[in-house]
Amino acid sequence: MKRSFTTLTDATLITAIVQNGYGEVITNALLEVGIQGSTIHAAMGVGIRERLGAIGVAVDAEREVVNVMISSDEVDRVFERIFMAAKLDVPGMGFMYATPLLQAATYVPPAILSKYSG
Amino acid sequence: MAVDTQEVPFLELMPEPLFDRHGNEHPQPVPKMKLGGGDVVKVLQPYLSTRFLDQARAVVPLALYLALFQYLVLQTPVIDASIIAGGLFAVMVGLMMFMEGLKLGLMPFGEVIGNTLPRKLPLAGVLTIAFMLGVGVTFAEPAIGALQVAGSLVDPKAAPYLFTLLNDRSGITVLLVGLGVGLAAVLGTVRFLRGWSLKPLIFMSLTPTLILSVIAFLDDGAGGLNTIVGLAWDCGAVTTGPVTVPLVLALGIGVASAAGKGADSSLSGFGIVTLASVFPILGVLCLSFYTKFTVPAEEIIARAAEMRAAAEAATSQPQWFEMTPWTEVILGVRAIVPLVIFLAIVLFVVLREKMKNAFITNYGIILAVVGMCIFNIGLTFGLAKLGDQSGGLIAGAFASIDVIAASPLYSMSVGIGIAALFAWVLGLGSTLAEPALNALGMTVQNLTNGAFKKSMLMGAVAFGVAIGIMLGVLKLIFDWHIMYILIPGYTIGLILTLLSTEEFVNVGWDSAGVTTGPVTVPLVLAMGLGFGNALGATEGFGILAAASICPIVAVLTLGLYVQFKVKREERRTARELAQEGEIA
Repeated sequence: MKRSFTTLTDATLITAIVQNGYGEVITNALLEVGIQGSTIHAAMGVGIRERLGAIGVAVDAEREVVNVMISSDEVDRVFERIFMAAKLDVPGMGFMYATPLLQAATYVPPAILSKYSG
Repeated sequence: MAVDTQEVPFLELMPEPLFDRHGNEHPQPVPKMKLGGGDVVKVLQPYLSTRFLDQARAVVPLALYLALFQYLVLQTPVIDASIIAGGLFAVMVGLMMFMEGLKLGLMPFGEVIGNTLPRKLPLAGVLTIAFMLGVGVTFAEPAIGALQVAGSLVDPKAAPYLFTLLNDRSGITVLLVGLGVGLAAVLGTVRFLRGWSLKPLIFMSLTPTLILSVIAFLDDGAGGLNTIVGLAWDCGAVTTGPVTVPLVLALGIGVASAAGKGADSSLSGFGIVTLASVFPILGVLCLSFYTKFTVPAEEIIARAAEMRAAAEAATSQPQWFEMTPWTEVILGVRAIVPLVIFLAIVLFVVLREKMKNAFITNYGIILAVVGMCIFNIGLTFGLAKLGDQSGGLIAGAFASIDVIAASPLYSMSVGIGIAALFAWVLGLGSTLAEPALNALGMTVQNLTNGAFKKSMLMGAVAFGVAIGIMLGVLKLIFDWHIMYILIPGYTIGLILTLLSTEEFVNVGWDSAGVTTGPVTVPLVLAMGLGFGNALGATEGFGILAAASICPIVAVLTLGLYVQFKVKREERRTARELAQEGEIA
């Protein structure tokens, strides 16, 4: 069987580095609006405890890194959703950023492929 | 939701760089962040609420179950409900602080020591420290305090040796339990290194324990050791709690990985828990025999009467350290501080290591001490009081007791059925809520490649504990001796051990240890004693012991069934393959 290869354009990667346990909060908030395919990694953070002084004990040094790839047109909406779900407006909760992707690839449903192959 | 958006350059978050006159960057301290009051609340709120909810999930359903049962079935409102509610709140707050303190303050010690000790000391030194650590952690175990609380309820005339072991000799009893845990830590560590099978160890440690128990059981005259057996076997269940298991394991795993033996066996974590619940039984039995041969029963009864008289004389003007908040505080400090000092000596003097992040560690230690004190207060006013009350009232379902005027509320057989069902549900619920069981279930599922599912293990253990607590309650009602449950239970357990594979033996015997956490133990102990008192039994111990053997039998049986199923599947596939071969 002949196999075909499709690249996706206009993709953006959002990375959020949040306190332990909030990775799943974010992925659930994304699933609610139909965005799937997030990845969670475990990580250790450094620095915020020193900056916060005594209250730093309330901040977990163990972190989770959430990666999710989305369409560049949807960045603002999803970015805001993650920010709110992870409560990033609280000191010590974490941070996030969006990076443009040169190209991306995954399984693309045939219905969509046929739309572009013509 | 409308969100205000604005843009700020990232430069605003960066510190101003400092350069010296050669143009090299100058080091500068991390700028401190000033937080407003609202932000402080926002930072602390999720930190506190998640940790509090962890404890509430274990305590609240149990307390509600007891209260509702008392109200609906026994038709008696909870006496001193507000004090008990306050006590239970203290238990939750205390456990929350203690667990966080354990994680931040004590565990780093355990990990650093476990990793560096084997590299810097010869094996004999490591084992000595493992032994001393085993003794120290026993004193720090929150559930140990429950034994002392329970001791005050024992009648010295009916069971003199039981009384003395729990009151004026309680320190020695805990020490003997600690020595047992220490020995278990040493043997468990050697087992890691040599890769010994757990089966002979179980047989070698259980045989003398059972023999001594039988001898004590036969000594049933006035002032005999007959009454001590229940306590001794309960001690085994009490020791394996949230302090002992992780700290001793951290050391054992550190030793094993330093010897290059850590990675090859996912089972390396098991076994210590089992040994740590058998050796203390042996220790307490030995102590009771020693006391029996050195101190006559009359002396103890006289001492007890003296102590009671002294206590009554002192009630008018108790010393400050004998009044309620302070006794608990002293107990709490005495439990944690020696362990911390011991760990600090090992780390700083023996190993000459430095502690990274000293601020966090100190915070953790303070939290552990304060948490232990609050937990102790909650233990006295919440868990012990509630358990004692429910235990005393449940007897009213079938027997005539003073507190409930209309008792017996039900006919004899219905009442006993209600009491048994009550105990069964209590065991099932409290076990399924235990977080350690969840963790064990995950490990087992991974270990057996999914053949033994997590839900199956949790179900088997909870079912076993439920049956065990029910048997323990029935033992009190019909005044059976605990040996009538232990002898058949452990005989079946040992036979199943011979038949099972090494993996299931490890898992099965360890499952008994993890089921008994800091909430279940005091509650069940107090319930048993209150129940025993209401029925006029000499001692209410033994429920925990029964709750330890039943899950072992349940898990081993299920393990054999899973093994059988896997084998049958294999045989069938082999036969099918052979048939296909014939056809081809």
